[in-house]
Amino acid sequence: MKQVADITTEVRRLDPALPLWLGVGAATAAVGIAGAVALASTQEHGWGRLLESYLVSFALFLALTLGALFFVMLQHITRAGWSVVVRRIAETLACNAWLMAVLAIPVVLGMDHLYHWSHVEAAAHDPVLVGKMGFLNPTFFVIRLGIYFLIWGLLAWFFHRTSVRQDTTLDPKLTVRMERAAGPGLVLFALSANFAAFDLLMSLDPHWFSTIFGVYYFAVSVVTFFAVMPKILVSLQWKGVLSRAVTVEHFHDLGKLLFAFNVFWAYIAFSQYMLIWYGNIPEETQWYLKRQTGDWAWVSLALLVFHFIIPFLVLVSRAVKRRPRLLAFTGSYMVVMCWLDLYWLVIPEFSPGSVRFGLIDVFCFLGVAGVYTLALTFRLKRHSLIAEGDPRLQESMAFHTA
Amino acid sequence: MSATTVDTRALLDNTTDDPRRRAPLVLNHTEFGFVTDTVCGVVERTTPRSWYIAFAAALLMTGVMFAMITYLITTGIGVWGIQVPVGWGFAIVNFVFWVGIGHAGTLISAILFLLRQKWRTSINRFAEGMTIFAVVCAGIFPGIHVGRMWVAYWLFPVPNQMQMWPNFRSPLLWDVFAVGTYATVSLLFWYMGMIPDLATLRDRATTRLRWFVYGVLSLGWRSSNRHWHRFEMAYLLLAALATPLVLSVHSVVSFDFAVSIIPGWHTTIFPPYFVAGAIFSGFAMVVTLVIPTRHFFKLGEIITLRHLENMSKIMLATGMMVGLAYSTEFFIAWYSGNAYESFTFLNRAFGPYAWAYWIMVTCNVVVPQIFWSKRMRTNLVVMWIASILINVGMWFERFVIVVSSLSRDYLPTSWGYYRPTIIDVLTFAGSFGLFFTLFLLFVRFLPIIGMAEVKGVMPAALHGEPGHGDYHGDVVERVGRRGGAR
Repeated sequence: MKQVADITTEVRRLDPALPLWLGVGAATAAVGIAGAVALASTQEHGWGRLLESYLVSFALFLALTLGALFFVMLQHITRAGWSVVVRRIAETLACNAWLMAVLAIPVVLGMDHLYHWSHVEAAAHDPVLVGKMGFLNPTFFVIRLGIYFLIWGLLAWFFHRTSVRQDTTLDPKLTVRMERAAGPGLVLFALSANFAAFDLLMSLDPHWFSTIFGVYYFAVSVVTFFAVMPKILVSLQWKGVLSRAVTVEHFHDLGKLLFAFNVFWAYIAFSQYMLIWYGNIPEETQWYLKRQTGDWAWVSLALLVFHFIIPFLVLVSRAVKRRPRLLAFTGSYMVVMCWLDLYWLVIPEFSPGSVRFGLIDVFCFLGVAGVYTLALTFRLKRHSLIAEGDPRLQESMAFHTA
Repeated sequence: MSATTVDTRALLDNTTDDPRRRAPLVLNHTEFGFVTDTVCGVVERTTPRSWYIAFAAALLMTGVMFAMITYLITTGIGVWGIQVPVGWGFAIVNFVFWVGIGHAGTLISAILFLLRQKWRTSINRFAEGMTIFAVVCAGIFPGIHVGRMWVAYWLFPVPNQMQMWPNFRSPLLWDVFAVGTYATVSLLFWYMGMIPDLATLRDRATTRLRWFVYGVLSLGWRSSNRHWHRFEMAYLLLAALATPLVLSVHSVVSFDFAVSIIPGWHTTIFPPYFVAGAIFSGFAMVVTLVIPTRHFFKLGEIITLRHLENMSKIMLATGMMVGLAYSTEFFIAWYSGNAYESFTFLNRAFGPYAWAYWIMVTCNVVVPQIFWSKRMRTNLVVMWIASILINVGMWFERFVIVVSSLSRDYLPTSWGYYRPTIIDVLTFAGSFGLFFTLFLLFVRFLPIIGMAEVKGVMPAALHGEPGHGDYHGDVVERVGRRGGAR
């Protein structure tokens, strides 16, 4: 039997990495927020651009949070053993649903600028929008967002709290309880994430519709999550945290899942594009037309090449998946690609024809990333980084891929 | 009470949920010989009389199908109920239905293998076989639907002096490639996985004929280390290659509908929604077949209650996905503001085919909800009936999609009502005959459980690695005590 690390001698608190994480988080947040605000207040239409770019970064980190929540519930419902050593980090990422609820406030306040349908008078002259008013109106939008965040927040809180309680009680019944909750949890998750994608992103063009759109955003979420995980683990191990419990085998599996879900993303993206292109109905194609005319055509092609083809060729290699730092680098690259994907979903609605990528987009990303990291750090440091009361911990630590 | 004094026959329930241990996947036995004897025993015993009866019935139904096809060819497509505006009737519904059935086999053999779901070993051979037979049944329907079926080979891009080519922009041609690839890979995967087991049958052969036939089929397998090494690598690679097929085949089938601009067909969620539905119906068919087979051949210690419970869970999960797709379609039909789209969906639910729609919703969305309850998931009768209802529901799903959209499209003057003829119904019923004929031959002559793979997940094969069943004794003891109190 393979030599298994002893959990009691493992460094499983964030403390050694804490100064670095707090420092990086605070610095990134400060630079990002200051830069974004400075640019917004000096540029023409700066606040509008800030809001648009903010929605991109918000959607990215919401995707990360939802991907983590999905991962946690999936591990419970399948009684997974391999992932126990990485599950606490996912649980904590999911808890940032509360932070995302707070970060949704600017989106709600900026509704007027972001969502054309929120102009009730203007919409009243548009027969298509009149038909949707029962759904797309400011009040119901805010109520729905509230419901989504309540679902995600409570689910994340439940799984995190129960798992943390198990650290001390070592009670295997808690595992059974989480397993049972994961079923209804996934149903709620699927419904809410599906409609959240319609609300937050699809309704940017209120005339356009695509039944697969919720699945598309789900794919983005899961890819983002698996792209971020190796980076988090590597930066912990760099400071000597979890350096023995999380082995190259776990990285290998995370890499496989990143590969698989990135292919899934491509499959969903292709399905949506191909069917709309082939059907060739103006009310559907107008959305893609915006994205394949002018500079945006290059972004569309870039997504095909740099979000799918190149990562496919890189991640298919066993060697890459079994080198944690290389995998972390690839994952970080994939996060940038997921960001580009969301940028491509959002910005053409406001800037058809020209991409106008600028520093403000970078600052927005840094600002949200920094705040997100800080919130994550504060929650991570309170508990062990491993679900150490999980009855399948030994199985996870002894795990090796065949 | 010590484990040795317990009547180990008492242990047939391994669905207890204790996260401290992995449940055993083979019950009451730790020795490999048990698996070999049980599985080979199915093939080696004298043919039971009931098998002949079942086989005769299946053959009769197959005969009915071929009689119907002969009548169709000699008379013409008019013997079916298809008419303007419903030009796609039973044949396409049946095609999609049968292709969908096959998907569980590929999911179990490829995706569950990559996901290290060890419980798959008891059912994968069975499900893979079912895949092949379902694809055979599926392949018949487009073939006989082309009208002049003596030129059905035109489906393939065969070079010819007339420079006539199939339309490469047509998803119907993509289907030829998708289903063709699928059938090829599934057959290879099924056969390759069977080689070590065929060699076992060869080694146990008592007649020269058996020895010769199984000997040829096992391709000189000697169970050497080198053989196993290559076998396992080949299996892994085939699993990786078959994994995208699980998604691609039914996605291409969904393109048949979704690339058109017919309301109710042209919707972007079709590819993943069809895939989920295919897996859903496929698992239902596996359950429909496995419960009687397991009972008849007394395989309950290898295909345990836990296996069946897991399959119920997958049916629940995929049923919920299908339900989510239904509601998303319905919602977006309204949200789109497109009058035709909203009409189509209201027409489905309340129009002339409302009866079919509500059969579909009841069987596919309501029925699986019983599987939230563990008691239902472990009740074989309930599970079996539910699996049949799900199959009915999934057939009706395709019926609703094909017929309701075609019967009432953009132009009310060309609306119509499709009624299948008795020929339609008998051809479809006959395809079950073909399916069961092939299935019964499989049960009679081939190892229906992957012996080598099942042995690989038994405690004796794990050399101390943590895995299923290493706490076998404890479970026996606990169940034994419960039995004693009774």
